[in-house]
Amino acid sequence: MLADCPLLTILIFLPLAGSLLLLPLWGREAAARSVAFVVAAGELALTGWLYGSWRGLSRVPAKLPGYLLLEDAPWIPSFGIRYTLGLDGISLLMVMLTSFTFCVALAVSWNAIKERAVLFLTLLLVMESGIMGVFLSLDLALFYLFWEIMLIPMFFLIGIWGHGRKIYSTIKFFLFTMFGSLLMLLAIIALHLLHAKQSGEATFALNELLHTQLPFATQLWLFAAFFLAFAIKFPLFPLHTWLPDAHTDAPTAGSVVLAGLLLKTGSYGLIRFGYPLFPLAAHALTPLVYTLALLGIFYASLVAFAQEDMKRLIAYSSIGHMGYVAIGIAAWSPVALSGSILQMANHGVTTGALFCLIGMLDERAHTREIAAFGGLWGKIPLWSFFFLIFSLTSMGVPGLNSFIGEFLILAGTIRQSPLVVVLSFVGIILPLIYMVRLVQEVVFQGERQPLALSDLSLREIAILGALLLLDLWVGVHPAPLLDMIHLPVQLLTGGAA
Amino acid sequence: MTSVDLMALMPLLILAGGCVLVLLAGAIRPGGYLYELTCALIIAALLWSLLIPAEAAMPGLAVTPFSRFFGFFLNSAGLTVLLLAAGYNRRRGIVGEEYPATILFALAGMGAACAATDMLLLFLGLESFTFAFYILVAVKRDSSKGGEAGLKYLLNGTLSAAILAMGMALVYAARGTIRLAELASTNEAPEPLFLAGGCLILLGMAFKLSLVPAHLWTADVYQGAPSPVTALLSTASKGASLAALLLLLPIFGAWHGLHDLLWLLALFSMLAGNLAALVQINLKRMLAWSSVGQMGYVALALVAAPAGGVKAAVFYLVIYAAAGLAAFGAISVLSNEEECEVIEAWRGLGYRNPLVGAALAVAMFSLAGIPPAAGFMGKFAVFSAALRAGEYTLAIVGILSALVAVYFYLRIVVVLYMKPSALPDEPARRLDLAENVALLVPTVVMLLLGIYPQPLLKLLEKILS
Repeated sequence: MLADCPLLTILIFLPLAGSLLLLPLWGREAAARSVAFVVAAGELALTGWLYGSWRGLSRVPAKLPGYLLLEDAPWIPSFGIRYTLGLDGISLLMVMLTSFTFCVALAVSWNAIKERAVLFLTLLLVMESGIMGVFLSLDLALFYLFWEIMLIPMFFLIGIWGHGRKIYSTIKFFLFTMFGSLLMLLAIIALHLLHAKQSGEATFALNELLHTQLPFATQLWLFAAFFLAFAIKFPLFPLHTWLPDAHTDAPTAGSVVLAGLLLKTGSYGLIRFGYPLFPLAAHALTPLVYTLALLGIFYASLVAFAQEDMKRLIAYSSIGHMGYVAIGIAAWSPVALSGSILQMANHGVTTGALFCLIGMLDERAHTREIAAFGGLWGKIPLWSFFFLIFSLTSMGVPGLNSFIGEFLILAGTIRQSPLVVVLSFVGIILPLIYMVRLVQEVVFQGERQPLALSDLSLREIAILGALLLLDLWVGVHPAPLLDMIHLPVQLLTGGAA
Repeated sequence: MTSVDLMALMPLLILAGGCVLVLLAGAIRPGGYLYELTCALIIAALLWSLLIPAEAAMPGLAVTPFSRFFGFFLNSAGLTVLLLAAGYNRRRGIVGEEYPATILFALAGMGAACAATDMLLLFLGLESFTFAFYILVAVKRDSSKGGEAGLKYLLNGTLSAAILAMGMALVYAARGTIRLAELASTNEAPEPLFLAGGCLILLGMAFKLSLVPAHLWTADVYQGAPSPVTALLSTASKGASLAALLLLLPIFGAWHGLHDLLWLLALFSMLAGNLAALVQINLKRMLAWSSVGQMGYVALALVAAPAGGVKAAVFYLVIYAAAGLAAFGAISVLSNEEECEVIEAWRGLGYRNPLVGAALAVAMFSLAGIPPAAGFMGKFAVFSAALRAGEYTLAIVGILSALVAVYFYLRIVVVLYMKPSALPDEPARRLDLAENVALLVPTVVMLLLGIYPQPLLKLLEKILS
């Protein structure tokens, strides 16, 4: 029964179909909001159902080892492009994160977006389709297509509903990502041609291209192009400069999706495509990845400490947190990789929550300057409570989700490179410094400006409560998620299944 | 001439005869239903070439799948332009029967150029549609810009015609034949006289395709011509010129210099076109420079001709034409007494005229090569061919200049949707049916080819084999 129903196609195209449903509702914003949310919630329910049944699916023997669901159809035979989708534990985790994040993004912008709200909702749903496609594609050309498509809605989202220097930020964001992507496109085509020359079969299918025998020099060139594209999305130092601008100037929903999902497409791409396709080159460049990640951790933390804008501070903290993900990937051991994958989801939840919180505060006070606030604990205790908890998460306090991810990454890396782990431990202290400063100045301390603030509404409590539940769940009981990604991680790292 | 020949030639005859018919009709009843009549004639030619797959070979002309494909493509572009021009000419006071008649004449010339089997007819076809454009570019007689553009086009055009004719004469002198098939089939090593002629032919064709170094007329002419004419000039005229070039390329045989010359044309066109477009503040000039860059990608595909580049070049050109029609179409429908061509004047227009904004935005994404617009598939085809042919340098330069291009194409989208409107909030003019169709069709084509290009690719494989 399951095999007959193209679940993955539905997963990708349900939001797109939902965005078409919005067209007749042009101008009727309340109705459009409800429809969009129902579509996103339906998508969430679908991924929830997939999560509930993954063990059952994994017992069915799959055509590709490790995959729970596969779909495959010819699409553009003249180019050798197929419509190949696959879901394994890693994609399932990312797909769950995606559908959840979009529900949060829709809910958090319920009242914040007043102008052209229907266009906003349409773009969000289109973007959800694009991101779903990125996490499910197993054909490199198809992957690239979704990889580009998801940029367009974000470009509009920042450019139309952003703040500050929104046009500068959105163009910078787009050009940075395009730069990496275009070179990756050449690399994808080159890999396709090399494979065709070797095997006589023109294909972009990942599982075929994995068998291509490439000399080291070729691998290095191709991997460099892939790595550039993914490192820009990640973002790794020194390719990160688009991120603070884009995150800061985006509307709250945009920041949540950027931090929660777009950055993850970079790390996901590295895990799914970059490392498996070019193992020799990836191994050779491991020291470089370590170095860039560590530099990013230290640099971003220092810069975060100097920020006056709360949103910018969180944006910089993202760079640091993603640095750990990069270290875990570079170590390429089962434990570290599991940690990285888990940390991708964790970072999406935590940073998403922080951006939500700052967005809510911004809606009330119309400023995000740290210096404008103080003593919020007494004025808006609920907001302060959530802010404190998620800040603690961001610092990596045990019992909350980030701790698990960071712990696994470092535990898995220590055998590969003790030096990196030692330095990373130092790096873990740094978020403590800037987050403590942030919390201390904003939540505690005396009031600096008399701002009339109202505490969280029921809708906002529901959003943050859901995020907190996830945070605690992963923090206390990560085993089910680790089980889910266990098999694909073992297969990727070459361990026994 | 047999009846089969007649059947095969009918689309061309309809266009050429229709041209005379429209001129006569205009003389008898000035201001009658001339545009409607012209549209009907083009549709008749279109349907005929679609429904009646007759093929024929005559001295000088051969109706083949290749020529029928190009005929269909060029006539569709011509039809779209005519739909745009009807309203545009009314608003800007361009009257008279010569406009629709000249468009029919241009289409007939283009059709002949695509079906030619010897250099003489090829030259005649090319120069007849170029001749038609001399008139069309300057058709608004009281416009100083139009006059300037017309004169520039005339001077450059006659020079290039002379170069082309000289080249053909030299080739004839060297080989003693003007038949393309005979020229292509000789295995003689190319002698200097032949090569001199070949290079001149290539230069003449570079003028028609706006390839650097023969591109200098492009920006001024595109800007000065009425927008529907620019639309035709930047799409159909390029298409017919590409078809003619494809017919001419086999005469060079395996001469390696051809590769090097095309290589240089591609390199400099991609660089110069995309860099110069960066600094334009006039939308038509920007599109003109960008079309120089776009033709660079077509040339890049031709460099890779041994590795399937010809298919990629035609595929790319069809997609480029859809984008050009949509973009210049958008300018056409928004132009009243003055052309709506300054980029800043488009601020906030994406909301005021949703269809016009969407057509222009999709065209920009397509030209920039961003999926799901078709331009991505075009770039994909071109770069696949280039890499297959081992043209790594050119591919990397091409992809980096495409990145530069993304910036100036996106700037238009930014102006359309992200900048506050400069205009008072009066309701926008309602578009008539013809304008809606003329904008919708290329936009839908761009999206369809971007999502499912397989049918077109398959067709191209068939006609180019």
